[in-house]
Amino acid sequence: MTLVMVVDDDQDLAEMLSIVLNGAGIDVDLVGRGDEVLEVFRNNPPDLVLLDVMLPGIDGIEVCKLIRAESMVPIIMLTAKGDTHDVVLGFEAGADDYMAKPFRHPSELIARIKTRLRRTNSDIAGLLAISDLSIDVQAHHVLRGNKVISLTRLEFDLLVALAKEPGRVFTRDALLSEVWGYRHSTDTRLVNVHVQRLRSKIEHDPENPEIVVTVRGVGYKAGALVHS
Amino acid sequence: MQRVGFRLGSSLAFRVIVSTVLLSLSVVWLTGSALNNQLSKGVKQVNLDSAIIEARSTFFNTQYRLALAQGLPESDVRRVIIDVITSATSIGRSENARQIAFLETPGQTDAKFNYEIKSEFLKVDSVPKNFKIKVRKSSDIKWIYSSFAYPGNVSTPVIILADKVEVPNAGQYEMYFFISLANQNKTLELIRSSLLLTGFALVLLIGLITWLVVRQVVRPVREAARIATEFTSGDFRQRMDVHTRDEISTLGNAFNEMAESLEKQIARLENLSRVQQRFVSDVSHELRTPLTTLRMASEIIHGARQSFDPNVSRSAELLVAQLDRFERLLEDLLEVSRFDAEVAVLEGVDFDIVSLAKRCIEDLTLVAAENSTSMLLIVSDETIMLNADIRRVERILRNLLTNAIDHADGKPIEVTIAHTEHDVAVGVRDYGIGIEPHLLSRVFDRFWRADPSRARVRGGTGLGLSIALEDARLHNGELEAWGRPKYGAHFVLTLPRREGSSIEARLITLKPTT
Repeated sequence: MTLVMVVDDDQDLAEMLSIVLNGAGIDVDLVGRGDEVLEVFRNNPPDLVLLDVMLPGIDGIEVCKLIRAESMVPIIMLTAKGDTHDVVLGFEAGADDYMAKPFRHPSELIARIKTRLRRTNSDIAGLLAISDLSIDVQAHHVLRGNKVISLTRLEFDLLVALAKEPGRVFTRDALLSEVWGYRHSTDTRLVNVHVQRLRSKIEHDPENPEIVVTVRGVGYKAGALVHS
Repeated sequence: MQRVGFRLGSSLAFRVIVSTVLLSLSVVWLTGSALNNQLSKGVKQVNLDSAIIEARSTFFNTQYRLALAQGLPESDVRRVIIDVITSATSIGRSENARQIAFLETPGQTDAKFNYEIKSEFLKVDSVPKNFKIKVRKSSDIKWIYSSFAYPGNVSTPVIILADKVEVPNAGQYEMYFFISLANQNKTLELIRSSLLLTGFALVLLIGLITWLVVRQVVRPVREAARIATEFTSGDFRQRMDVHTRDEISTLGNAFNEMAESLEKQIARLENLSRVQQRFVSDVSHELRTPLTTLRMASEIIHGARQSFDPNVSRSAELLVAQLDRFERLLEDLLEVSRFDAEVAVLEGVDFDIVSLAKRCIEDLTLVAAENSTSMLLIVSDETIMLNADIRRVERILRNLLTNAIDHADGKPIEVTIAHTEHDVAVGVRDYGIGIEPHLLSRVFDRFWRADPSRARVRGGTGLGLSIALEDARLHNGELEAWGRPKYGAHFVLTLPRREGSSIEARLITLKPTT
């Protein structure tokens, strides 16, 4: 059974969320305060965290940083729509995705959670190569030579999406639909921020990226293979 | 000249110095010339007096010697005359030398001898005629200022003194005594030039002093002006230095107090704006959380409405629809308050406005069909890239489209997109009920309805067009409306293709030709 940790100080919303998630066959761990998150997280590691921004104790952005410091678990932030400041801060703190309150349909939330929980491209067997990196999709590993590079699940998904179609130029919208599961969203910041984060982990020189290459005015593509 | 005029107009210091110098120049001129007059008058008087004394003694001496020579032979008388004249002209040398003309008064018939004699440089016309007449009529010494040309020299001013002398056996003679005034004129020249020099130096000195004084006054004024400029450009920390306890320091203190109060006011306003922003953000959060719960609950109820009796089922539908509407209203109100607080920010991205318009039209096709209308897109190009806040542009398009659908009256809607290198324009034209021209300026007012009796078909919030206008202006763009009753309406949005620049031209004519 999948376990989702819901961190929200509004008890009614938390209860409603657990009703909806339970209905989709997901177990829920409810936490009402920011400063209680880490303890619960360590005792009973969830598969995904649904995190409100405004929390008593420590605020959501800080909580996000704390979780990210010790785990690659997917984190979806719950923000007030239009508070772009919070959204950007959330991404910078390591959140993978965000849901703007109030969401139109509970099903949208479920879909997002499932996309994040999905075992990435389990249909692809064996190794993928991109630039001088090799990706073991099954084992969820990215290797440079013998060195393992640790990525969040979302960053891994982003890299795999680019690597499995080396010639293709992905628009930001295409990446949003493939990696985040958005049908159509106009929030391409999501892609930009995560590409930056991914680059900072895998590129030799993040200022002059060779693995995730920008195609000006269009989007991104995988860099050429480098045989070592 | 123009430059001087410009400096006079632009520099207080320059103006003060120029007027001070001009004023002191005239004062120095007046006092200088008065002094000069006085001095030259004195010098001339002294010279005249001494000349008269000298002439008088010469004339007296001549008369005396001639009187003694009474009865002597003609050659002795002539010797006496030559002797007297020689001794009188031997005083002074060269240009200062005295000259004497000893002339017979004409019209005498009983003269036995002619004793006329002249110093070597004198000519017949050296003595002015009318002076001669004057001398003849007078019984005392007469004098006149005249000029006389020594050989090899230009004319020298002289004073001519004259008197009548009785010569034994020869009748009345006139004796003209020339005294050069060259030395006197030199003195006068010296006085004039030293007065001029002193005056000039004085004026220069006054100018310098004025400059120094003005600088002391103007410097703080300039400083104040500089600081005021800094204020204008947004730096409110600048203050004037106050060292002294004079009027300038009063200015400085007053200026600093003004700066202080201005800074406080601005800080207060900034704080107010922050409070407003905070309030908007808090309200949005506080309202969103229960609204989220409500929405999820209503969706679950709505999802299960098949199992309810018809009344409950319909209620569930109404609940969901009204929650939708409530949410839209909340969003719009928050957006409006963001505009009011001037905290709305642009998040520019590159996107294709044609595909955005296509998507908006696609999303609203069903709604349009419900109102038995349709939308037609007319574009000049398949893709038109634009750097703008896509969320806002999409909102403008949706607002214009839903507005057109609401008022299309079942007739098709035309959406035109035109572009140049610099701008892009979207026109939304409907052929529906239209609007009275005098009401056009009000269509962008909040919650304004052309016809209050008309229900809102789409359950719009009444804020759509007003937000669209604000969104357009935030991009330095323009949103304009045209309308005629029964001919429909035309809304044209014009945006610069690069964020931050301004629109250059209107690409779509607002007033339709057909």
